[in-house]
Amino acid sequence: MLKMLKSQSRESSELENDMEVREVHVNGLSMKTSEVEAKLDEGNIQEAESSLREGLSLNFEEARALLGRLEYQRGNLEGALRVFDGIDLQAAIHRLQPSLSEKPPSSSRRRSSRGGESVHAVSQHAASLVLEAIYLKAKSLQKLGRVAEAAQECKSVLDAVERIFNNGIPDVLVDNKLQETVSKAVELLPELWKQAGCYQEAMAAYRRALLSQWNLDNECCARVQKGFALYLLYSGVEAGAPSLAVQIDGSYVPRNNLEEAILLLMILLRKFYLGKTKWDPSVMEHFAFAISLCGQTSVLARQLEEVLPGVLHRCDRWNTLALSYSAAGQNKAALNLLRKSLHKHEKPNDLPALLLAAKICSEDSLLASEGVEYARRAITNAQGMDEHLKGVGLRMLGLCLGKQAKISSSDLERSYLLSEALKSLDEAIVYERDNPDLIFELGIQYAEQRNSNAALRCAKQFIDATGGSILKGWRLLALVLSAQQRYSEAEVVTEAAIDETAKWEQEPLIRMKAKLKISQSLPMEAGETYRFLLALVQAQRKSFGPLRNISQIEDDKVSEFEVWQGLANLYSSLSHWRDAEICLEKARALKQYSATTLHTEGKI
Amino acid sequence: MSIHHHTRDSSIIEFSKSDSDEKARSVIESLSLILDPLPPSLTSSENPAFSLLHDPQLAKTISWHLRQPDSGAGDNNLCRWLYDTFQSSDPNLQIVVLRFLPIIAGIYLSRAVLRKPLAGFEAILLALYAHETTFRGGQPITVNVPDLSHSSLYHETRAAVKNNSTNLNLAILSPSLEPHGTVRSTKRARIVGVALELYYSRISLMPISSKIEFCEFCVIWAGLNGDMFKEDENHDEKEIKEEEEEEEGGSSSKVLSEGTSEDVGEEGSGGTSTSVENVVLNNSSSVEENCEKKEGRIPLPWELLQPALRVLGHCLMGPMESKELKEAARAACRSLYARALHDVNSQAILATGSLLKIGNMPKNSTPEPDPTEISDFNNPIITL
Repeated sequence: MLKMLKSQSRESSELENDMEVREVHVNGLSMKTSEVEAKLDEGNIQEAESSLREGLSLNFEEARALLGRLEYQRGNLEGALRVFDGIDLQAAIHRLQPSLSEKPPSSSRRRSSRGGESVHAVSQHAASLVLEAIYLKAKSLQKLGRVAEAAQECKSVLDAVERIFNNGIPDVLVDNKLQETVSKAVELLPELWKQAGCYQEAMAAYRRALLSQWNLDNECCARVQKGFALYLLYSGVEAGAPSLAVQIDGSYVPRNNLEEAILLLMILLRKFYLGKTKWDPSVMEHFAFAISLCGQTSVLARQLEEVLPGVLHRCDRWNTLALSYSAAGQNKAALNLLRKSLHKHEKPNDLPALLLAAKICSEDSLLASEGVEYARRAITNAQGMDEHLKGVGLRMLGLCLGKQAKISSSDLERSYLLSEALKSLDEAIVYERDNPDLIFELGIQYAEQRNSNAALRCAKQFIDATGGSILKGWRLLALVLSAQQRYSEAEVVTEAAIDETAKWEQEPLIRMKAKLKISQSLPMEAGETYRFLLALVQAQRKSFGPLRNISQIEDDKVSEFEVWQGLANLYSSLSHWRDAEICLEKARALKQYSATTLHTEGKI
Repeated sequence: MSIHHHTRDSSIIEFSKSDSDEKARSVIESLSLILDPLPPSLTSSENPAFSLLHDPQLAKTISWHLRQPDSGAGDNNLCRWLYDTFQSSDPNLQIVVLRFLPIIAGIYLSRAVLRKPLAGFEAILLALYAHETTFRGGQPITVNVPDLSHSSLYHETRAAVKNNSTNLNLAILSPSLEPHGTVRSTKRARIVGVALELYYSRISLMPISSKIEFCEFCVIWAGLNGDMFKEDENHDEKEIKEEEEEEEGGSSSKVLSEGTSEDVGEEGSGGTSTSVENVVLNNSSSVEENCEKKEGRIPLPWELLQPALRVLGHCLMGPMESKELKEAARAACRSLYARALHDVNSQAILATGSLLKIGNMPKNSTPEPDPTEISDFNNPIITL
């Protein structure tokens, strides 16, 4: 029986020189490595081996394994490989198998009987020796850059473990050394496949590491999970669905890389919250990236809420939370968080937070005056490295002032606010000359001040700068033209816009076209346009399932109700009472109590 | 999604070698009529499809031609060649076309506002879009964002917990695809975005130079350089040198290139950094110089930005070891983050911001000491 000695138990004073003199301790016997190494250096493996066997009373395999390790540890990798090649590792594994498979089947957690223990321990030790030898062979190959071969060797460690211990080993009986070798092999294998460029094998190795029972400790398991998550997220190689064998009925099975990566990252975050692993800030960043790709930032917000206090700086957390909520359309929650982080005792001058707060405020006239404050603070603080954000601050200021003007109580105040708004948007243009959004906003601002010529110029400029790729530009242009009562031109623009849009996004434009026809006193054509629009809206409702393209068209969706309502108005203006009534009936079926419908009804 | 990509990979292998070689040779032959002379390494290659994809000389030549001012026209022979090659339906040859997608998409989007003839580029992009549409059957790609209260295959407790509440968050990664016969301007970003999705599905097979070109175009698209987000500690020699050059060259340096002054439009073309301009211009003629500078910032709606960020994530964190690529990817992250801040777009700020932080984290993710090293490696006392 071999006896393990802890290095610490050894007095260092016995050694002449810590780093130079290395010793081998086995069976209560010890030996200087230099004796053996001298023989190895002469290329005489057999002599080295026999001196080990005599000096430490070892058998052949033990001596070889030890020699291999000596070579490995002193960096003589070629030598280590020569020694390991001398052992028939596969035969050794084969020998180990039957002695263990006699054991009655037991689960991995089962305590085995007292009697079987010693037989077990011996075989485990022998196995541990052989497996470590193979593992070191893999490491040597890796360090020599022969990664594909290394991966094969490393894989054979795991194959062997599965074959030798096919019924598992009771926890209490696991040899430490064996467990260590197994854990390391589990962790190394996917890395080796990756380095070898064998992507599918790497995926399989990761799955095997995580879905078989290797009894990995928490940190090791977390490292493998993170490695796999990142590989799924960034490798660009589809892993494919996990095999049916590991799918449990009723449990969540990821169907693609992104789902699996998100699942693993969530589990890693959970492990941290439970105190099982060290906090790794990069996990949260990878998670944030993955989840924002899916547009599910409310899930990110939920995870951030769970982070224990003290892990992230509270302002950073508030700000990231605010971004998550705002991206998920929950601007109110976002603003509340930003108010906290922008409080004078926290980080009142954080530029991105100020700009986001101003942006949110600019969308609500009741908040606009608060937004003005944020924007002003942002402009003051846009200095040095942050100077590039000055234009953004000015733009937000302009937007907030314009919004504030909408609820101002006096004409004087309103005209003052509006002119200030224009001034600051104009100033922003100096900084952000090539930002078409700014030009659009300027156009809106002019339009609201009834300066339709300037608005027209902006709308045209916006369409040019975006190559007509953004629908709202076309709509603004058509609206401004119709405000100038240039209906036929507006119609031309609308037609051009319809040409540039796909079928499902044409509704608002067609509705606009119908209204333009009415304005030009072309009721028959208007009716035709409405009928076309109706067909389109109905077709759209039928053809799209629950997976509509939410983000793009939701805000300017034309409902069927609006079409019936428009038609009713048209018919009633033509005194086609019967038709108007039918249309109203249809409208009422869709929306029972609508002021507009009742109003038209009243007129009839 | 997963199943689809499997068939993608296997189809590449399945394709019979000799058949493929023959096709590739005829493709090379037709290319030789356009680009004369072809690099000799290509014409005499044992594995022509591989050489078409990986030959650096050829890539350079094609890139140079694609960057010419009139390159995207409908009667452009190179565009026609790319289009025909993609339509050959040989996956090995289709990758060759995809390899040039960063340049095609990059130049196309930047030129789309300049009213230049672009029918040639559009034909290629529409072919890619149609391919992806057919492949997906027009279906959207969705992601079921997991919820840990549902047991999963990675849960430690193996017992299946019946949780019937189906409050999984269904996210649409890529909406359903409509067939498009022409590029309508409001669909431009989506068509290019879908082409990028196709590019991403093959990205592990792409040569690094193609990915670097993509990263460079991200900077140009963003229209901002993100130098202010450079991490000080990450400054290696090259970067420091660049900065010195910048300080020597542009007297008003940062402020100017960020867009305070009036000549931003002409001079900075959205403030592309010196490094990027150099790289872009190195590949292009002097005639191109002026033209390239005017092309730049484009609208970055989510339908375009999202697939671009997926590609960028791969460039930044993918398994290949290329310092040049990682540096290009970091520069792209900085620019796109700056752009997201300028647009005050929360979703884009989150996505680009996290990528930026990931890129700035210590590169070596393996913790010290190496956990796969044996534990008594440095122990002078050896036991069995």
